[in-house]
Amino acid sequence: MAEMWINMGPQHPMTHGLWNLKVKVDGETVVDAEPEVGYLHRGVEKICEDRTYPQIIPIADRLCYGSSLTWSHLYCMTVEDLMDLKVPPRAEHIRVVAIEMQRIASHLMWLAAYAVDLGMMAGFLYAMRDREIFIDLLQALSGSRITYNYPRIGGVAHDLPPNFQRDALRACDYMDKKLKEYEDLYDGSTVFLMRNQGVGILRREDAMNLGVTGPTMRGSGIAYDLRKDHPYSVYPDMDFEVASHPDCDCYARYRVRMVEMRESARIIRQALAKMPQGKWRTIAPRTAPEGTGIGRVEDPRGEGMMYVVGDGTDKPYRLKIRSPIFVSVSAAPKMLIGYKVADVVAIMGTLDMCIGETDR
Amino acid sequence: MDIEKAPSMIDGNPEEKVLRSLAEGFPRTISGGEKLKSGVIRAHVERTDLYAVCQTLRDSLGFEHISMISAVDYPDRFELVYHITSYQSRLLLELVTGTPKDDPGVDSVSSVWGGANWQEREAYDLMGVVFRNHPKLERILLPMDTMFHPLRKDFKG
Amino acid sequence: MNGEDQASPSVGQVMMFKSKEFLKWSDEVMEVVLKRSAVGGSIDVLTTDFFNWATRNSIYPLHFGIMCCALEMAVASAPRFDAQRFGVIYRSTPRQCDVLLVNGPVSKKLKPALRRLYDQMPEPKWVIAMGECAISGGPFWSGYSIVQGVDKFIPVDIYIPGCPARPEALIDSFLKLQKLIKENKKGLLTGR
Repeated sequence: MAEMWINMGPQHPMTHGLWNLKVKVDGETVVDAEPEVGYLHRGVEKICEDRTYPQIIPIADRLCYGSSLTWSHLYCMTVEDLMDLKVPPRAEHIRVVAIEMQRIASHLMWLAAYAVDLGMMAGFLYAMRDREIFIDLLQALSGSRITYNYPRIGGVAHDLPPNFQRDALRACDYMDKKLKEYEDLYDGSTVFLMRNQGVGILRREDAMNLGVTGPTMRGSGIAYDLRKDHPYSVYPDMDFEVASHPDCDCYARYRVRMVEMRESARIIRQALAKMPQGKWRTIAPRTAPEGTGIGRVEDPRGEGMMYVVGDGTDKPYRLKIRSPIFVSVSAAPKMLIGYKVADVVAIMGTLDMCIGETDR
Repeated sequence: MDIEKAPSMIDGNPEEKVLRSLAEGFPRTISGGEKLKSGVIRAHVERTDLYAVCQTLRDSLGFEHISMISAVDYPDRFELVYHITSYQSRLLLELVTGTPKDDPGVDSVSSVWGGANWQEREAYDLMGVVFRNHPKLERILLPMDTMFHPLRKDFKG
Repeated sequence: MNGEDQASPSVGQVMMFKSKEFLKWSDEVMEVVLKRSAVGGSIDVLTTDFFNWATRNSIYPLHFGIMCCALEMAVASAPRFDAQRFGVIYRSTPRQCDVLLVNGPVSKKLKPALRRLYDQMPEPKWVIAMGECAISGGPFWSGYSIVQGVDKFIPVDIYIPGCPARPEALIDSFLKLQKLIKENKKGLLTGR
């Protein structure tokens, strides 16, 4: 059978952004794969060298639009490390509540898009409906639906709105009930299990060496989560489990994300219960000292990291952004070789790609 | 499934252990080892020994994961900053190396950690640093026929 | 060119064509009979309203998401905002689409691919520029690798401001597009 290269992209029915996947097929089996990114490159790192520190917060939001609070929070953490700024405890708790809500919304978006890829429209409709509840809560908090511009260097922009605690607890209870319904819907579908179990194996050693992080790594049996093992903010006070699964296939990554949603609801309840009174923001200085700052967060997609170099002015000298999906996509060929063309959609879907952060 | 716990604290905390092993293993090329904060350490290395240091880090010191490779354009040199994570000991090492502007090249570490492959391609694409022995050093984010390296300070967009 | 069936002339005149000759013949005949004569004009008078109603109530956009506004495009077809009640169904291939929704910044690498997608869509087609990035470059206007606005190389019919544009704004733009289609009624046969 002749081998040939097929282009899947940049416009393709897989709903996850703008990239190109060249697969070399021998009949129906994938023999080689080569991802090609860069269709969404906006030059964010160069733009950031021309903007003052607070002006970069909305740009950091638009890095990964599926979970934009994580990225603006990461940027603020990095600059606070550079400026040696202490954030008040109330702001830290508000940040944790907002980030965990964003994690649930991001995983629900993944669930919806993944269902569409596998042909299960019912999953898309249910997951999008439930995601709207968390989007409404975040809209009450910050004023916008997806790119929030809510964290500030030194805290958060404004305090919690009235009745937020009551509504957030109601949303967490509702989510716990709905997670059971999702598990019945997905795990009860024989076709879903057939398309996911045993497909897209990424072995533990490959995951560690190739730099894959996040739910993809935890689905290969490595129970490492930056919130537990390298904690930041007020995560040391929160009690939650790290989700991991020993099979290294697509089903394992799906289970990891479902457990993470449940643990996020748990963290939201604890953070709201422990929320102290006080200020929600300290005013940051206008110029940053000379030096460097690092920030790391556990993004819903993996390990996000930023490195900023300050030079005494009010604009950064260099801002480097580490995107988890950039590295995971380079590990994609390891997961694709040997499977059929129809499995490509399922495998790339479990990576939960957000091309905004890949291409920056 | 768990990873092994951090090594015992009998002979110093893990950050100092790693810095000491590096300083003893490469006395002439490693300098400036310091602990930045809990769990984060930094060291400076000459670019000639970069590959050997990285191999030691992966094989005997348990640093399995390369988090980030950044390239910074200073007026007198290009600086490459490697952030390397150890899952076992929960440490982050910031390894800094410099390369002169007229010959911007270091050895590629993509054979040590596969995760460095695309990160080095991106540093080449945007900053113009050449990585010797890289399996496929091509542009990755910009179109293939781009003539400039945008992140350099002398490029005005 | 008419060929005649030699075998059984009693059955009647049967015309045999090769496919290319048939296309040429039908072009000539249809051109004369339908498009230039009064027959075409009267068919148009009877059917234009109907076809126009069908076109504007079944706008098929292309399944093409670039950046954040693409999430709002996906949400617009979700249960809460539900664009499908206006006949809007997303199709995966440009050959079956009416509308190209550009919902993010266009980088120089993407420009030829987007132009090819636009050229692959059959007439009549419209373009909606959704969000600030497609209108003018948005927050990234000073970047070195984006095109400052999609109307630099594709003609745009409707602009939706917002960063990101809300799903209600997208549905409003579909309704405005329906009004635009209604106002520019053209006969399918004569084109007038």
